[in-house]
Amino acid sequence: MKPFYIVCIGVLLLATSCTDVIEVDVPEGPERLVIEASLDWEKGTQGNNQTIVLSTSTPFFAEQKFAPVLGASVKVINTDTAAEFTFASQNNGEYTTSSFAPIVGDTYQLEVIYNEETYTATETLYPLVDTIEVSQSKDGGEDDEALEVNVTFEDPEGLGDHYFLRFKSQNDLLSELYYIKDEFIDGNEASFYYEKLEGEDSVDEFKPGDVVDVALMGISKQYHDYLRLLVDQYENAGTPFSPTPVPLVGNCVNLDNPNNLAYGYFRVTETIQTEYTFE
Amino acid sequence: MKQKKKRYGPAFWLLGLCLLLGTTLVHAQSNFTISGKISDGTNGETLFGTSIFLRGTDIGAISNEYGFYSISAPQGTYTLVFSYMGYNEMTREVVLDQNMTLDVELLESSTQLDEVEVTAEEPERALLRKPEMSVSKLNIKTVKQMPVVLGEVDIIKSLQILPGVTNNGEGSSGFHVRGGAVDQNLVLLDEAIIYNTSHLLGFFSVFNADAVKDLKLYKGGIPARFGGRVSSVLDVRQKDGNSKEFAMTGGIGAISSRLALEGPMFNDRGSFLIAGRGSYAHLFLKLAGEDNSANFYDLNLKTNYNLNQNNKLYLSGYFGRDLFNIGGSFSSSYGNASGNLRWNHIFNDRLFSNLSLIYSNYDYELGIDFFDFDWVSSIQNYNVKYDLKYYFNDAFKLDFGVSTIKYVFDPGRIKPTDPASAINELQLDKKRALESAAYINAEHKLTDRLTAQYGIRFSHFNRMGGQPLNEYLNDRPLVYNNTLRIYERQDPIDEVNYKKSESIETFSNFEPRVSLAYQLNEFSSVKLGYSRAAQYIHLLSNTSSVTPIDVWTPSGKYIKPQLSDQFALGYFKNFKGNVYSMEVETFYKTVDNRIDYIDGSDLIGNNTIEREILNGESKAYGVELLLRKNEGAFTGWLAYTWSKSQQRTPGGDAGGPGINNGDWYSTAHDRTHDVSLTGAYALNEKWSFGANAIFQTGRPVTYPNGQYQYEGISVASYSDRNADRLPAYHRLDVSATYRPNRKPQNRWKGEWVFGIYNVFNRRNAASISFGQNMETGANEATRTAIFGIVPSVTYNFKF
Repeated sequence: MKPFYIVCIGVLLLATSCTDVIEVDVPEGPERLVIEASLDWEKGTQGNNQTIVLSTSTPFFAEQKFAPVLGASVKVINTDTAAEFTFASQNNGEYTTSSFAPIVGDTYQLEVIYNEETYTATETLYPLVDTIEVSQSKDGGEDDEALEVNVTFEDPEGLGDHYFLRFKSQNDLLSELYYIKDEFIDGNEASFYYEKLEGEDSVDEFKPGDVVDVALMGISKQYHDYLRLLVDQYENAGTPFSPTPVPLVGNCVNLDNPNNLAYGYFRVTETIQTEYTFE
Repeated sequence: MKQKKKRYGPAFWLLGLCLLLGTTLVHAQSNFTISGKISDGTNGETLFGTSIFLRGTDIGAISNEYGFYSISAPQGTYTLVFSYMGYNEMTREVVLDQNMTLDVELLESSTQLDEVEVTAEEPERALLRKPEMSVSKLNIKTVKQMPVVLGEVDIIKSLQILPGVTNNGEGSSGFHVRGGAVDQNLVLLDEAIIYNTSHLLGFFSVFNADAVKDLKLYKGGIPARFGGRVSSVLDVRQKDGNSKEFAMTGGIGAISSRLALEGPMFNDRGSFLIAGRGSYAHLFLKLAGEDNSANFYDLNLKTNYNLNQNNKLYLSGYFGRDLFNIGGSFSSSYGNASGNLRWNHIFNDRLFSNLSLIYSNYDYELGIDFFDFDWVSSIQNYNVKYDLKYYFNDAFKLDFGVSTIKYVFDPGRIKPTDPASAINELQLDKKRALESAAYINAEHKLTDRLTAQYGIRFSHFNRMGGQPLNEYLNDRPLVYNNTLRIYERQDPIDEVNYKKSESIETFSNFEPRVSLAYQLNEFSSVKLGYSRAAQYIHLLSNTSSVTPIDVWTPSGKYIKPQLSDQFALGYFKNFKGNVYSMEVETFYKTVDNRIDYIDGSDLIGNNTIEREILNGESKAYGVELLLRKNEGAFTGWLAYTWSKSQQRTPGGDAGGPGINNGDWYSTAHDRTHDVSLTGAYALNEKWSFGANAIFQTGRPVTYPNGQYQYEGISVASYSDRNADRLPAYHRLDVSATYRPNRKPQNRWKGEWVFGIYNVFNRRNAASISFGQNMETGANEATRTAIFGIVPSVTYNFKF
């Protein structure tokens, strides 16, 4: 669950103040490898086709946001079965395989060799609830006039379930990311909404006909904590009511030069993906 | 648990010395004593800080918080001189051949209008000699004269234009003293602890200027009678209420209005004051079609009753509240409440005592509609204090007393408001503690030129049981993972239930406080001070500004008491016949056991705070300069502070490098340069003008040092904590006060105050946030400026 209340306090303060976009000189950190290794097994599919994306970080205000890494070697090993999956470079930063075999509860290890340094990460494939319900409403959310899309699912009894919920309107450039833990909702039917409010960051409200991609994933606690920091800092870093921004540390470790750490994360999840069209 | 070795040696030595001196001085005396109370002749308010001396001698005294004074001298005939800033000096001839009581009423110097004259703290000879240093005392009249935003007189903002005091940007709660954090200030309103000093997130202070008599800020050299915070003490005292006649004061402003009623009661044996203040900005927001609203109100009450010449009772109370409502789906309310019953008892002409029973409470409530739950957290305390002052003779005065505070901390409860709510009920563990202290402090004139103040406070903290507590493997709630290079929260291995009769942990500390004043000549002196202070409760906040939702937590198994040591050296000079005064002070302060929060800490609704923190230390040092013009049509001051405030948080028991690789880093409230220039000019009886100019180094922040693509968004990477700075802050404010013609026989006195805040409409960055433009996807830096140019009009009246 997001710290809504903090955001809300902030909103009020900001409502009385004014904001503008300015030019700021920011420091330039070292260039690092970025590993976006998201092996998501969509329920009901074989999950054989998987892609890992490698790039390097760029200066914060750089025009080029994505700097692909081409010459790396990438593989994933199931440490329970010793099965090995090699990912082939597509020469655009993407490395793909069509033979991945996902097994719930098994542990997988990623190995990336880039610039003669080896990076590894380990993750377990977490299970997910079988079904989610997607609906629309007006009276939920913050604005009773605006349309929102709701995702509802039943959290299983017993603490320790973590979720990653992603919405993306097909009209928009960017996704809306939610991290969820069951600490306060354990064993309950929980519902989460995505509502766009007019005027905020010049966004349009949802209207009938709009299509939203929805994805829900079962994730590890460690990945949940990583996402929480990532999302909070992405949305609020620098505002007076947010924590001081800090380095974001994923699970990819550089074995040869530990200080030259890699950004990004290696996750293996079970996922439900669907599309919702507003009526 | 192991504890730092305590420094019994010097403490006992000091205590012994002071008792020894006391007894020898008692035997040496063959004097007579004059004692009494000093009050204002027009409204009967007792006057704190009146200087009393015997002309032609070095014998003098200063009246205490209740206006009481006591002065001893050999038999003879004397001229007693009473002087107080802004009041006519009064002299009395006395033939001293027995102990006597002399109550005195002083009259304000400006018979026409008291508001015209702005007199800062009077640079008296006695002050040069007094060992008290690092103290800012502000007359409420001076405060009222300063230009302020939206026409609201604000004590906290006025303090911030003195050297050594800063804020954390506009619209931020609290204040910082000598590089200290907000929670390191002890804020007292009529002795009751105030936990949150701000209304509307820092736009206004909780103190209603119409109800306040005086305030004193101790930035260092904190007297032994105060304790519990390591940086400063802000001692605010409410008016007693006019004991001569019924009076009404008030003001109507753009954001809020206020009204105070006061007058005699109990057949002139007492008086009362009732003051209220409320904002109505929410009405304007509603009219403007906004669903959001924010408002505040507060209420001050005080009454006193004279039982007889030697016994007086005071009852005072405060209640303040802030209310927020965002679109009907989110509501929040918070505030302080306090009450205090005091009994002043004069045993004899040398021994004055005060017993106080104090209650105070701060609570925060939040309702979130779309998740159907309420959130409530609070801190409550009950405090009993007994303070005594013994006036041995002109050269030796002794303060001593005891205090005990019982705390109840409720860090939070989540309660579903609807049976269908997806949120489960949750009560975080309530915590209890008892903080007790005893102190003794002497003010001792060693020679004609050298005066010392020395004392010691012994404090004891008992973190009481009545709650479960997690146990961790090897007592380590956090462990550094060398491979992943992060601090990992450990799972508890056991839970221990402490009974209410048990102690979870106890701490005790001796806190020596010493200061010396050496008078170089009639116009200048040097002062030297050392103080140690212990702080047993901590405000948990990992944001750059503290927020009302932040909760207090007691020291215990995992959080140790903060301990500060401060050294200060100062030079004080009056010149041009006391028209000008100059104060230069330098300080060095260290604080042990200052916690900081690990990367990715999550404090909200967290029952295991020990898994979010690391223990560290902080230090601050700097130089302060205050140049004042005290008299004439034009008065004002220039204040300049150069300082540094840093902290360091190594890994400790958790292993690893700690925060920021274990290196020193700037605290969030470090300000290298802080300059303010304040002036007031009285043109004539009708018009007076004021202006402030302020410059500050921007506050430390953390900027991104790169970006990368992940999950379809541009993620910023950050490196060292607080390594960058916001742009410098500066602004100019002006005000004009107009007092229409008044007939002397009219009781109604009105005035118009016109003000312009931030005349140049500079967009000072309160914060800069970094994010991605939702349409173009480009990264942007967004500046938030709270106040541009803000004109205001306020009408004040007195009846």
